[in-house]
Amino acid sequence: MNGCEHRVEAIERWLDGELNGAEAESLRAHVAECAECGEARRRLEKIQQTLQGVLLADAQQIKFQPFWRAVQLRINEKQPWYHEALERLRDTFPASRAAWAVPAVIALLLAAVSLESYLPFWRSSGRNSFATVESIDAYGRNVALLREYDTKTTVIWLYQDQEGENDAAEETAPSGPAF
Amino acid sequence: MEPTDLELVKQCQAGEMSAFQELVSRYHQKVYMVILGLLRNREDALEVAQETFFRAYRKISGFQGGSSFYTWLYRIAVNLSIDAQRRQKRNPLDFRETMDGVLESQNEVARDPFADLHDKELREKLNRAINDLTPEHKAVIVLRTIEGLSYKDIGEILGCSEGTVMSRLHYARKKLQDKLSAFL
Amino acid sequence: MMLLKKPLLRVLLFSLLSLLGASAAGIAQKQPQNVQVRIGAILASNKNDEFDSRLKPLEKQLRVLKYRSYRLLKDESQDVPWQGNKVFEIPGGRSLMVAPQEFQDNRIGLKVRLTEGQKPLLDTTVRISNKGNFILGGPPQEGGVLVLSISATAQ
Repeated sequence: MNGCEHRVEAIERWLDGELNGAEAESLRAHVAECAECGEARRRLEKIQQTLQGVLLADAQQIKFQPFWRAVQLRINEKQPWYHEALERLRDTFPASRAAWAVPAVIALLLAAVSLESYLPFWRSSGRNSFATVESIDAYGRNVALLREYDTKTTVIWLYQDQEGENDAAEETAPSGPAF
Repeated sequence: MEPTDLELVKQCQAGEMSAFQELVSRYHQKVYMVILGLLRNREDALEVAQETFFRAYRKISGFQGGSSFYTWLYRIAVNLSIDAQRRQKRNPLDFRETMDGVLESQNEVARDPFADLHDKELREKLNRAINDLTPEHKAVIVLRTIEGLSYKDIGEILGCSEGTVMSRLHYARKKLQDKLSAFL
Repeated sequence: MMLLKKPLLRVLLFSLLSLLGASAAGIAQKQPQNVQVRIGAILASNKNDEFDSRLKPLEKQLRVLKYRSYRLLKDESQDVPWQGNKVFEIPGGRSLMVAPQEFQDNRIGLKVRLTEGQKPLLDTTVRISNKGNFILGGPPQEGGVLVLSISATAQ
C-alpha cells in the first residue's frame, strides 16, 4: 500500500460507525475514489461477513426450548451452600483483583511487623516480657531470682548477710519479700 | 409494545420467571455467538452460554441499571469464556473437526463449486486465525463483528478504555488479514 | 509489562518484592545510638499502707513483693552510650553502674553493678525488652528495703 496505510485505522473506525459526521463523509468520499482504500474496505468487510456468517449459521441452530430447559435445570438444581459464598467471593475478588490483593495483604502484614520496631507509640508503655538473667554474681551473698507470670516481672533479690548488716532494719522489715 | 430489557429485569427482580425467560429468548443466540467466537467449540460454547444465563439469574437482583442489560450480560459471558479458555486444552485437530461440523451444517449452496470450496477454505483459515489471537483480541473482534457493539460498549464489557478497544481491533484485524491475504 | 497481566506472576512478583522490602527494612533497622536508662529507687516497707501515687505504673510489679508500703525515693534517667556506662547514685550510699552491651531482636543487654561505697554487692548481666524493666532489690533502707526498678529504652 502506498500513501494510504495511515488511513486503514480511520477506515476501520468509519466502518464501525465511530467517526463523526464530517469525518465520515470526508473519508467516504476519499474511499470512493482511492483504489487502495477501496481495497482495504473490501478486505475488512469480507472478514467481517465471513466471521458473521460462520457464527450466525451455528447460532441459529440453537433452539430456544431445549436451551431454556437446560438453564431452568441449572436454576432449580440445589446448589451446595458454599457455592453462593464462593461466587460472592469470586465477584468481589476476581483473579485480577486478587492478584493485587494477595501481595498487598502480605506487604501490609510485613510492614506492620517491621513498623512495630520503628514506632514507639505502637508499643504500649510498660510492656514487658521476662528479663533474661544471663549471669549473677552476688559476691557470696544469697540471691534469689523470681519470675512473676502475670506481670512478666523478673526480680533479682539480694538477701542481706545474716551476720551484722543493719540489725535495726531486720527488726522492722523482713529481709526479703514474701514471695 | 414489547417491554424493554430494563422492564423485564425489574419484573425478574420482582420474581417473575416469565420475564427472565423472555430475556433468555432475546439473547440466547447472540450470547452463544459471542461465546462460540471466543471458544471455537460448540459443546463448550453451549455449556458456557447456559452457565451465563444461570449466573445472570442469580445476580439479577443486583443489577442496578448502570449499564445496559446486554453489556452486563455479555460481560458475564466474556468472563466465563475467558475462564473456559484457560481450562480449554484442545489440539488443533479437534478444533478443525469441530468446526467442520459447523461448516457442514450451513445451508448455503453455491452455484459455483470452486467458489464454494474457496469459501470453505477461507472459513477454516479464518477459524484458525481467530484461534491464534489472544483472548483479549478475540473478544474485541467477536463483540464488534457479531454484535456491532460500539467501542464504548465493548470497553464496558471488557473493562478497558475505548482507545484500548480501538487498538486491539486494529491489531486483530491486521493479524487476520495477514493470515488470510491469499483468500481475500 | 506483559508479565504483569498474568495474575499468578503478579502475586509472585509483588510477594517477592514485599519480602525483599521487609528484609531490607529489617537490615536497615536503625541501630539505636543510645540507651535511655531510668532508675527508680523505691523504699518498700511494712510501716504503713501508703502507696506512692508516682509509682502507679509499677504498682502491679511492686505488689509482687508483698510489702505494704512503697515510696519513691529517687527517679533518674540518663542516656548511656552503647558499650559505655553511667553511674546512678542510689540512696543509702550506694551506686548503680549500668552498661548497655547490645541491642538484638528488640532486646537490650545490660551489665549492672550495684555497689555500696566501694564494695560491690551484685554484678548481673540481664537482657530486657526494649522499654521493659526488671526489679533489683533487697538492701536494707530506712526501716524497709531498697527496691530498684531498672528500665531501658533504645533511642
